[in-house]
Parts: sequence; structure tokens; C-alpha cells
Amino acid sequence: MIDLQVLTQAVGDLDEKTILTMINDFVATNPSGEDAQKVVFACQQGMAIVGDLFERNEYYVGDLIFAGELLSTTIDILKPVLSGVATQKVGSIVIGTVQGDLHDIGKNIFGSMAEAAGFNVYDLGIDVSPSAFVEKAKEVKPQIIGMSGVLTLAIDSMKSTVKALNEAGLRDSVKIIIGGNPVNEDACKQIGADAFTTNAAEGLKTCQGWVK
Amino acid sequence: MLGGEDKMDSKYYETWEEYLAQHPELEGKPTQAIAPKIERYEDLMFTFIMDLLL
Amino acid sequence: MTDVVALTNERNQMFRDLFSGKTPKRVPISNPATQDFAIQYAGLDLAECQWDLTKLEPVYDKFCQDFITDTYPGGSIRIPSHYQLLGSTPIIMSSSGFMQHPEVVGLLAEEYDQFIASPYDCIIETILPRLYTELNGEPGKVAMALAKAMRVHSDDMAYLGTIRAKMNAKYGFATMGAALTEAPFDFMADFLRSFKGISGDVRRYPDKVSAACEAVLPLMVKKGTLPNPSMLGYTFIPLHMAPYLRDKDFAALYWPTFKKLIETLAEMGQTVQLFVENDWMRYLDYLYELPENTIMRFEYGDPKLVKEKLGKKHIVSGFYPITLLQTGTKQQCVDKAKELLDILAPGGRYWWQADKSIINLEASGPVVENLRAVLEYVHENGTY
Ligand code: B12
Repeated sequence: MIDLQVLTQAVGDLDEKTILTMINDFVATNPSGEDAQKVVFACQQGMAIVGDLFERNEYYVGDLIFAGELLSTTIDILKPVLSGVATQKVGSIVIGTVQGDLHDIGKNIFGSMAEAAGFNVYDLGIDVSPSAFVEKAKEVKPQIIGMSGVLTLAIDSMKSTVKALNEAGLRDSVKIIIGGNPVNEDACKQIGADAFTTNAAEGLKTCQGWVK
Repeated sequence: MLGGEDKMDSKYYETWEEYLAQHPELEGKPTQAIAPKIERYEDLMFTFIMDLLL
Repeated sequence: MTDVVALTNERNQMFRDLFSGKTPKRVPISNPATQDFAIQYAGLDLAECQWDLTKLEPVYDKFCQDFITDTYPGGSIRIPSHYQLLGSTPIIMSSSGFMQHPEVVGLLAEEYDQFIASPYDCIIETILPRLYTELNGEPGKVAMALAKAMRVHSDDMAYLGTIRAKMNAKYGFATMGAALTEAPFDFMADFLRSFKGISGDVRRYPDKVSAACEAVLPLMVKKGTLPNPSMLGYTFIPLHMAPYLRDKDFAALYWPTFKKLIETLAEMGQTVQLFVENDWMRYLDYLYELPENTIMRFEYGDPKLVKEKLGKKHIVSGFYPITLLQTGTKQQCVDKAKELLDILAPGGRYWWQADKSIINLEASGPVVENLRAVLEYVHENGTY
């Protein structure tokens, strides 16, 4: 049987070879869905280590990107054995990079961390118009909307998006968090978001607080 | 001439000396006028190409 | 001598002083707003103006008239025509007319060895055909596309050059040349391996990354060389990846060829301006090692610390947060300018620039007024 502690540590260390070997060996044993769930959970704990190391300035963004990639490769390998197991989601989030902005690294990092933490994540991609946010929110009724942007013009797009959510009568039923380098307290107020962050790990904690 | 061309090591970039060696027909021609022109367009092309990746 | 010529001479002298470490007459200023901003400020259509460059002369005239600056505010810009003719994927025009750069991968991980063997061959044979659709296919088609693109680009540049010359003659800006290049590691990241790709490569095959940086260094030197190294001007180098790397990856993979690049350019007698993007505070000791009078325009970080550590050897710039122009009051914006002036101007070696370029204009927002107030403030209060 796979040693989950070793796996968690390997994910924390971003040790690709060890992780892939362990996961592939595991899948080869034709495991049950429940066991596969445990493996996913161990990976999620490994991601939490990555998040911690990032907050402590031992890992940097490059490492987070790599971690996100590793995690999605791992989940892909596990998918066949995972299917059929009902998963308990802690909540749902719609995320996207706002209109006019194509930067998605920060959004993707946050997205994969949120997914690893058990959220149902609907990622609308980049250059997302206010109406696309509104449509998706109507469709999936998320608890949280996360807007990302690193261009200064993203601030304006975020403002229009909140306005559009307001006009659609959806504003009061969701929490809105914004992320990306140019966001700050002033911007957050002007935009009318509930929270802002320039750190995915911190943003995730905020979201977890909201769905408790 | 710009810096760095001595180490370009490419079939798509020739210094004047390399060019001249390939083109014996230029022998006896006013190379003092030809050389800067050939070099100039070699370098313009280089800059254009590199700008496509910056 | 006309007043305008005298003004140009005076401004050229300010930059000559600045670049050689002498205290200039006053703190030189560069307007952080770009051509896109200028077009919107003139109330014209972004896409149309970038295709029909004849529309740009009045745009620049108004822009130069209304915003104080010592340098021509039409820095490095991307014009769409040659990108269109080449079938560009890394640079495309957005629906609003903004020239933008989506993430692309020009070089696959398994092509590192080919790149290392001859970077320029690999660029021509593999990378460009992948990124520019018109450079992929029949040799005849490729030749035609390249010829058209090269010609339109040179025509466009010449046209922009005449606008620039007219504005210089009218407003007396400093006349500086500039060359653009990148740190080898950033070059490998941006259009070749992508931000995501390189982040994996650093862990998977660091030796290849390092060899590729070494291999491409001569090209980066050549690209960064001014037509005449002693002319007034600088090599502009935007820095991208370092803040996203762990210290040990930075030390092993980023720094060695970056340092060589700057040293080589400095030895040739060229001024180098680094755009130190994002937060480099943990690398200040490295930056200190760079040649004297290297210009460093910072995006984020602690201006006091930077002045203290680098301010006697290098030329410091940047830090002014353009988001404040969007969200702050006029007074807050001016106060911020004062704060930075107080920290960075003493002893010279300071060039007023913002932390990033202003690439768009929300007509109803306060940016125009705030920006003008800040530029005026620095112009009036920056005298030594
Ligand atoms: C990488 C990068 C690119 C890459 C993007 C690749 C990609 N797939 O995203 C490429 C090369 C393609 C690129 C293109 C451009 N870029 Co760029 N780019 C950057 C760079 C270097 C890093 C941005 C980044 O990814 N940071 C790393 C991430 C992880 O940080 P982050 O986004 O802040 O995310 C963190 C947190 O904020 C948080 N987070 C983020 N989103 C969210 C969302 C939620 C809900 C939550 C909770 C948290 C959260 O989590 C993350 C991890 O902690 C910045 C420099 C800088 N200082 O930011 C310039 C920068 C953003 N780019 C800039 C520019 C101008 C451009 C271009 C317009 C250039 C051009 N002319 O083409 C184009 C953009 C086109 C467009 N319309 O968007 C400017 C913007 C200037 C301005 N005034 O706005 C910058 C600031 C560079 C500069 N100093 O001038 N760029």
C-alpha cells in the first residue's frame, strides 16, 4: 500500500519523480475509489505544505506554478480510479481573469489551491466580460466569485463586473474576492468587493471562512 | 558592427568577412563601400527577427 | 539658437549628467503614459490610429503639449501591421485595439539541445514558424510574407520617427537613442518556454536552462547594442522572472548570464536601464554588484532601502505607483510624489518615472488630472 505520509511530503517537496512513481504504482494495483480518495487527500495536504512554504518565502511563484501542474497531472492519473466516488465539496467558486486582461498565472494558482481544498471551481478563463460572470453566476449559483487581474485596467473591469452583478440582482447572494498584484484596500472599496488579496493562500483562507 | 556577431555561429548570419569569402566576385570592387552596406542589412534583419521574440 | 534647441540641449545635458553620476540641474522626468493612452486621450479609435499612423501626429501633439516630460513620450511600442502580415500569435490586437501578448510556447522542452547548438538557427527554423503562421510553409510564401512585413515595419518606424522628430523640434525633448534586449533567462521564458514552461524546466532540467542562457547571451548582447555606444541613450532591459524564482535558482540560472550581459554592455561604454519589475528587494546585494551608473527603475519595494544600498553607485528610478492615480485624490498623488522626491532626489542619481506604464485611459476617471498634477509638481520641485 502506498505510504501517504511519504506522498504528502513528496508533494510538499515538489519531488516530481517520486510523486509520479508512487501514483503510477498505486493505480497499477487497481485500488478502490475510497483508497484513491485518500491519495487525493494526501496530495491536498502536500499542497498545503507548498502553500505554507510560499507564505514563508521559501517557495516562490515559479514553485506554485510547478505545484499546480504536478497536482493536475496527478489528478488526471487518478481520475479513472476515482470515478464513481461521490465527492463532498465544501463550496463553489466561479473564477476568471477580468475583461481586457490575459494574465492567468495567479488565477490558476488560486484555482488549483481552491480545488485542492475541496471547492468546486468553475474557471471562466481569461478576458472574461461582466456578462459572462453574470451568466455563470446565474447558472451555477456559487457562494463565491473570484476575480483576478494584474493590469491596472483590471480595476476598471472589476468595477464593471460588480456593477453588472448588482444590476442582475446577484450581488447579495455571493461573496466577491479579488486578487492580483494591483489590488489593494482602496481598489477593493471602489470596486465593491468583499475581500482582496495578493496572496493565493491567504485568499483561500478567506474563502474557507466564508463557507464554514 | 554590433557586439556579439563573432559568436553567432549561424547559417543565417554572416559577418562581412564570411560573406566576402563566399563571394569572390566582389574581389577588386570598392569593398569599403560594399562592406558597411552588407553588414547594415544583415544587422537590420537580425534586429527585426529578434524583435519578433521580445 | 532657438529656445527649443536650447531646451533640447539643456535636457540632453541633464541626462548626460544623470547617466555619468553627476547631479543634474533638476530631476529629469519621463511621462509614464504610452501611445495607447495618448490615442484615448485624443478621443480617437485605438485600432484605427495604429493602422493609419497619419492620425497619430495630432495625437502626439496634444499629448506632448498637455503633459510635462523631458523625454519623448512615445517609447517602445508595437505597431500591428507587420504582426498581421506575419500571422502573429504572440502579439495580437485585442477587440479594443490594444496590442497584447498572450502566453505562447515557441520552443518545446525537447528542443533545448537544438537551441543550445545554435540559437539563431533554431529561432529561424523552428521557433518563428511555430509562432508566426505566415513563416510556416512554402519557402516562396514565407519569403513574400517576410519581405512585406519587413518593409511595412521599416515604413512604420520611419513614419513614427518623423513624428518624433517634429515633436522634439517643437517641444525640445532630450534626443536619446534606445536599444531593447532581455536577460538571457527572461528571453528563454517569455516567447520561448513561457512562464509556466520555464518554471517546470528549472526543476526538471536546470542544466539545459543554464546552457541555453549561455548560448543565447551573444545574441542578447548584440540586440542590446546601440548603433553607436557613445551616443546619448541606453539599452532598455525589462526584467521578468527573477522574483518568481527561489534564491538558489536565481543564483544558478538567472544571475550569471544577466550579469555578463550588463557588464559587456557597460564595457562597450553603454548606459543600461533596467526595468526592475515586481519586487527585487531580496536581490539588492546582487544588484549592487552591477556596473556603476546602471539605471534601475523599480516597480515595487522599499525606496529608502534602495537609495541607501544602491543610491551612491547606481541611478534609481520608478516606484511611483500609477494605481494611485486611478484611486487617489490629487493631493494624495502629489504627496506621494513629494515623499519619493524627498527620499530619492538628494545627492542626484534619480530619474522620475512611474512604477509601470499607463496603458489605458478610463475617460471618466481621475488619471489625467492626477497625472498632470504629479508631473507639474516634480517639474517644479525637482530642482537641485
Ligand atoms: C507573467 C507576465 C506576463 C505573461 C502572462 C502569462 C500568463 N499566462 O498569465 C505575458 C508575457 C503573456 C504577459 C503579457 C502582458 N503583460 Co504582463 N506581466 C507578467 C508579470 C511578469 C507577472 C504577472 C504574474 O503572473 N505574476 C505572478 C502571479 C502569481 O501573481 P498574481 O497575479 O499577483 O497572483 C497572486 C495573487 O495576487 C493571487 N491571486 C491572483 N489572482 C487571484 C484571484 C483570486 C480570486 C484570489 C483569491 C487570489 C488571486 O494569487 C497569486 C499567488 O499568490 C507582470 C509583472 C508584475 N509585476 O506583476 C507583468 C505585467 C502585469 N504585465 C504587464 C503588461 C503591460 C503586459 C502586456 C499588456 C504587454 C503587452 N503590451 O503585450 C501583456 C498583457 C496582455 C493583456 N491584455 O493582458 C504590466 C502591466 C502594466 C499595467 N499598467 O497594467 C506588468 C505589471 C509588467 C510591468 N511591470 O509593466 N505578461
